Amino acid sequence: MNKKYFWFASLLIIFSLVLAACGGQVETPTEEVVEAPPEPTEVVVEEEPEVEEEPELVELVVWADELRAPIINDLGNQFANEYGVSLTIQEMGFGDIRDQLAVAGPAGEGPDILIGAHDWLGQLVSNGLVSPLDFGEKESEFLDAAITAFVYEGQLYGLPYATENIAFFCNKDLVDTAPTTWDEVTALAVDLEAASDGEVTAWIIQTIDPYHHFPLTNSFGGYVFGLTDEGYDPDDVGLDSSGAIAAGEWLQDMVEAGHLSADVDYDVLHTYFTTGKAACIGTGPWALSMIRDSGVNYFISPFPAGDTGAGRPFLGVQGFMVSAFSENQLLAQTVLDEIFATEEFMQAMYDVDPRPSAYLEVRDSTDDADIAAFAAAGATGYPMPAIPAMGSVWEAWGNATSLIITQQLDAADALADAATQVRTLIAE
Amino acid sequence: MSTNNPTARERKLSLALLRKFFSSMALRILGLAVVDAFAIMLLYLLLRDGVWPIAAILVLTTLVVNVINFSDRLIPLRWMSPALAIIMLMVLYPILFTVYTAFTNYGDGHLLTKIQTIRRISQDTYLPEEGNVYHWVGYRSPEGDFLLWLIDEDGQAFLAQPDKSLEQVSPEDSQIGQLDNAGFPLNVEGYTRMELLDVIPILDSQLAPLEFGDPPLTIRIKSIREAAQLKPRFEYDDEQDLFIENITGTVYFADESQGQFTSSEGVSLNPGYQVEIGWRNFDRLFNSPALSGPFIQIFIWTIVFAFLSVFTTFALGLFLALVYNDPTFPFRKLIRAFLIMPYAIPGIIGILIWRGMLNPHFGVLTTNLVNIVGWTPGWFTHPIWSKVGVLIVNLWLGFPYMMLVCSGALQTIPSEIYEAATVDGAGVWQRFRKITLPLLFVNVGPLLISSFTMNFNNFAVIYAYNEGRPPIPGTITPAGYTDILISYTYRIAFESGRGSDYGYANAITIVIFLIVASITLVQYRAMGTWEEISENV
Repeated sequence: MNKKYFWFASLLIIFSLVLAACGGQVETPTEEVVEAPPEPTEVVVEEEPEVEEEPELVELVVWADELRAPIINDLGNQFANEYGVSLTIQEMGFGDIRDQLAVAGPAGEGPDILIGAHDWLGQLVSNGLVSPLDFGEKESEFLDAAITAFVYEGQLYGLPYATENIAFFCNKDLVDTAPTTWDEVTALAVDLEAASDGEVTAWIIQTIDPYHHFPLTNSFGGYVFGLTDEGYDPDDVGLDSSGAIAAGEWLQDMVEAGHLSADVDYDVLHTYFTTGKAACIGTGPWALSMIRDSGVNYFISPFPAGDTGAGRPFLGVQGFMVSAFSENQLLAQTVLDEIFATEEFMQAMYDVDPRPSAYLEVRDSTDDADIAAFAAAGATGYPMPAIPAMGSVWEAWGNATSLIITQQLDAADALADAATQVRTLIAE
Repeated sequence: MSTNNPTARERKLSLALLRKFFSSMALRILGLAVVDAFAIMLLYLLLRDGVWPIAAILVLTTLVVNVINFSDRLIPLRWMSPALAIIMLMVLYPILFTVYTAFTNYGDGHLLTKIQTIRRISQDTYLPEEGNVYHWVGYRSPEGDFLLWLIDEDGQAFLAQPDKSLEQVSPEDSQIGQLDNAGFPLNVEGYTRMELLDVIPILDSQLAPLEFGDPPLTIRIKSIREAAQLKPRFEYDDEQDLFIENITGTVYFADESQGQFTSSEGVSLNPGYQVEIGWRNFDRLFNSPALSGPFIQIFIWTIVFAFLSVFTTFALGLFLALVYNDPTFPFRKLIRAFLIMPYAIPGIIGILIWRGMLNPHFGVLTTNLVNIVGWTPGWFTHPIWSKVGVLIVNLWLGFPYMMLVCSGALQTIPSEIYEAATVDGAGVWQRFRKITLPLLFVNVGPLLISSFTMNFNNFAVIYAYNEGRPPIPGTITPAGYTDILISYTYRIAFESGRGSDYGYANAITIVIFLIVASITLVQYRAMGTWEEISENV
């Protein structure tokens, strides 16, 4: 009996020691990276860095989606190696990056650099996951609105590379010039329906997706959150502002006159447009290849105007951010500043997924008329609110547009309900 | 011979003992030692990271495994111990963690520990109005001391050493060599100029922590080219556990009940940290306006949905099972195989196909309905028809299971009973009512209850069909006609103004578990009657 325990104890000690030894070996290289031991000093007396053989590269981990990972890996590393930096790319779905960072960052296993959308900032900053950045004069090389979008509570958190927004598509075979006001849209609907026995209409819109309703809302003076110098104010909910209700009533008139059908989702919307059953829709660059492939004779223009001016879409901005848990924050910022914020890199990022670039030189030099049209439509766009309160808005607002379009509630009631719901959720 | 025998026997005996020892005890000890060694290593890592709840479970699990393997009385448990260990780690721990999290504020804004939060807030810096920005080049002595040559916006040059006053310099000074185009000396006496490749590896680890010049306006390296008189924006006071903002002097106290640094005006710093908050998540749930709103309506629909889902799938499944149980039915095996198809296709795809068929603009079902009848219900927009729609989809997904279960159960009913009943003059309906149904319930009753429980929480069908829509007008928080309890509470937990609130979501989960558990208990009580029937038969 005693022997049994003796054997057990001695074996246990041996294995523990073996494991401890292995563990030590495993941990050493990571510690080396973190501590980055001083380089031998006598190296750089002559100005010939190529004399050294393979200087040890400092590793930075980058999280990127499958479209951009190859660019960062190839071009990014090509530049980074000149700086003695190697970029290790970990590829993951664009939408997963935000959630993964919340888990991996605090555990010390996150990236140094990540790509993401500006409207994640509310969540990322309130969770303390990203670090403030400063690019000095370099910021003037970027679209002003794109830089502003990455400012949260007065601090810059990202280096933008692309902007995205929806624009107004029209079918040239059905309409020569795009309607410039919403009243012209109504008039166009009357004409087209009369000419086609109700088969073709002027304009349709998603029943529930309020992202696409926003240009209509603000062209009548409506808003979601009041915009102050310090950003969006969650205490000023504008879904039931007089402008938002005016826009809702125009929508209601369209429905009651039989110009607008209910139950329209993303697929229905695009099928109506590409089959010539709707003359105009609002959609984004993500639908561009589908619309091109369909062969429909389209053109892109800014949104029609309501009582207070042309419709302005939400502006989404994508960019690079630096994890607050990175051990190499200055270096990560250096990489953004010196490597990513260059024309060649920004051009490559544009080429791999054409969206209006946030880098002015690339943005202005595009020879793609559609991308230029998107850029023009987004020039006046409002940055999508990044404040966490925006999470309470989508469902309530979508319900309101749905109730209006299915004629279950008057616009004023539906929007008043939605605003109440948003205020309740924010106050809770 | 007589002298040799005992030794031979002894040898044989010891050999057998040895063999026995190695075959069982030695191997067992070896295995346990390996397992325990890994456990100890894991424990060390866990304790280092401060994850004591997992560490506690690990210790408990390892102890149980050891006791089981050393005790001779617990031999039967020995073979179960790997499974038991995995159950403890992968079932028990998540449950305990869920319960624990329900009593914390874990969620958006409170993801980090307090130490991480303090470290994060201390990182913020700002450039005071009187602060200067410099371009810099670094120099290093053989001893590893650093020296910065700074040029400010007016072109003035300074030499800076860590923790020493700035020294204004002019290039004529004797110890300074020739200047490059930007005005930085190529070398400084006793120091070697650091080029980009020298700076990069030590930028964050060695250069960033250094402070140059006189306090309070010390110079820190801001980027690879710039240094500035940056000051920390918030100063942490260890003893009083508070942050002082350097610009305004505002004091932010650690509010342990909220897990946040908050000023007396009620302004809180980002991020907050995790704290235990007692029953507050439950308080919030029971006082939530969302509960006083459409809750009753949704609760009733949840029960109706679960009941009708079970009833319709069981009725159709039983009907088909009875029909195809008849051996004279032609091609019955082939048809039965086809009928199992909905069960074989992943549910989510089935739902998407139905969504497509019911699409009011292009759906096969709806367009044909319009052509034939001239009308189609609003499968996704009408309060009643959307409920009918989701029930139809759930019927499609669920009936093959019931058909399979009933087909099996029907085989267990002895045919003599039917013969006896026929002799007694019982009709088809009577035989079905008095024999088939009661005997069937004995077998499938528990399955019906588990099916009910499953449908009570059938988030996937509800969400994939229409995300709980169409909206109920005029509710205090967003709610839909097809929302069941679990999809509705999902909204409450993840669509509130605070982002994702895991602590709150876990509290809701526990309450829903209690509801489902009590309903299930009641049903099992009711089931007792069926068992009596089977005893009497």
